[in-house]
Amino acid sequence: MMRPSFGARMMLPALLLLAALSIFPFLFIVWMSFNDVSPIGGLSFDWVGLENWTNLFTDPDVRSSWGISAIYFVATVGLEMAIGIAVALLVHELIWGKNLAISLLLMPMFIAPVIVGLLGRFLVDPTYGLYAWVLNTTGLYTQNILGSKGPALVAVILMDVWEWTPLVTIIVLAGLASMPDEVLEAARVDGANYWQRLRLIVLPLISGIVIVALLIRSMDAIRYFDIIFITTNGGPADSTKIIPIRLYETAFRFFDLGYAAAIGLSMLAFSILVANLFLRMLARQGLAR
Amino acid sequence: MTKRGGRTWARQVVLYGLLALALIWTLVPIVWMVLSSFKSADDLLATTPKVVFAPTFEHYKGLFLGGNSLWGYVKNSLLASGISTIISVALACLAGYGLARSHFRGKQHLSFWIISTRMAPIAAVIVPLYMIFRTLNLLDSIAGLIIAYLTFNLPFAIWLMNAFFADLPVSLEEAAMIDGATRFQAFWRVALPLVTPGIVTTAILCLIFSWNDYAFAQTFSGPSSQTIPIAAAQLLTQTGIDWGKLTAIGTVVVLPMVVVGLAVRRWLVRGLTLGAVKGE
Repeated sequence: MMRPSFGARMMLPALLLLAALSIFPFLFIVWMSFNDVSPIGGLSFDWVGLENWTNLFTDPDVRSSWGISAIYFVATVGLEMAIGIAVALLVHELIWGKNLAISLLLMPMFIAPVIVGLLGRFLVDPTYGLYAWVLNTTGLYTQNILGSKGPALVAVILMDVWEWTPLVTIIVLAGLASMPDEVLEAARVDGANYWQRLRLIVLPLISGIVIVALLIRSMDAIRYFDIIFITTNGGPADSTKIIPIRLYETAFRFFDLGYAAAIGLSMLAFSILVANLFLRMLARQGLAR
Repeated sequence: MTKRGGRTWARQVVLYGLLALALIWTLVPIVWMVLSSFKSADDLLATTPKVVFAPTFEHYKGLFLGGNSLWGYVKNSLLASGISTIISVALACLAGYGLARSHFRGKQHLSFWIISTRMAPIAAVIVPLYMIFRTLNLLDSIAGLIIAYLTFNLPFAIWLMNAFFADLPVSLEEAAMIDGATRFQAFWRVALPLVTPGIVTTAILCLIFSWNDYAFAQTFSGPSSQTIPIAAAQLLTQTGIDWGKLTAIGTVVVLPMVVVGLAVRRWLVRGLTLGAVKGE
């Protein structure tokens, strides 16, 4: 094996840059969370101790945003996993056109989330939108979708589901492709039908990969907020104001950067927790390096 | 394949019926966006959506030929995402290899630091970066955007290149070194060429992530550094939305990324699961 000094020299430039990009801003945001920070008329810092942190736990607005975030998170990730797995099982069974089908099904996940949001707005626009027109003419829904509380939340959830379901599909497909044929063949010879094979053999075999897909989606679900940012920006009446939108508004509309820093750190704690689970999962599968 | 009884034909019909549903759900928004970008203003405003229409290039002409054309935004997007991608991939090739070929205590902690940097919520990263950029005069600059994109592209690239290098058997490099190559030569002449698909995949994913960014650009960029997603968002005005132009910009943003993304489909799973799952 090679001496560690060579490896260290190879890693040094990247790790120094990464340290500058991550540790410094991290210490800075921690410090900000103990200050009243205002950007108006030159930056000003006023030490306020734990005030931002106590606010974080008592502020009803932030609490309701965590609630909406929880709904948004469970609904988007849940639907993406369920539909993604179902579509993967479907595509896996295809005999012809499989490659083309996969390529077409993958397309949404390359699209910028902000364009997904704009496209969603276009489709449900009460005057010109294709989907709004379909809902209108069939009589299913005739109001302004993004202007009504419940439907707006459903719409932004479905936009996220549209964009990210393909990610789950392609990961699960990789798992299905790596299953050993002999086991399935043996079960088939023994007379097991499709649903029995699925429940007793396929799902247990791909469970590890399904969990990887779940964790990857979970981490990204907390990261992005572009779709809601560009469609409803939290409205109507705060019904889609997930926590990153609340943070952004606190920082850049109300200019309370110290409080925004505290909110940001609480989000960071959540994503670090998921990242930790992800690493443990890799270690369990012997994939950690 | 063994026989599946007489239900095979019916089964195929059901399968392809379900596939058609999935494809409709997936493709209608994309097809509708592209179609709309070629519709005249009148056709766009039709109360009953038009599928058959006389195509026009007016929106694209308006975007690229008029004053305040899209070219400036395209240039900013290419510079910011391109340079951050090049820096990330170059440094990550070195670091990913170093990481894959060394064993030391605390390696798990180093990995954890890298992955948690990648996964940090964008809204949380924006706050300290905004303060730092403001102090260093990096607001409204391409350099600022490059730095912002490095915060997620660099850890992603290191992690992924590490995964690709870890798959290579060490024996090839050892053989090269027995023949007199230095460690760096073994990396440069033996290992690096063998992970070309990994490098390409990493670069394309970095490019897609930064090209598609909206939140950072919306916060940090100004008149001289705005990217195309910002140009799209700027078309949302109180007085009315020019959907023709907007769908045209959408098409311009989306098309290149779909093409390059599908070009590396074979390695995509590897990349998007940060190396955890091997592809097809």
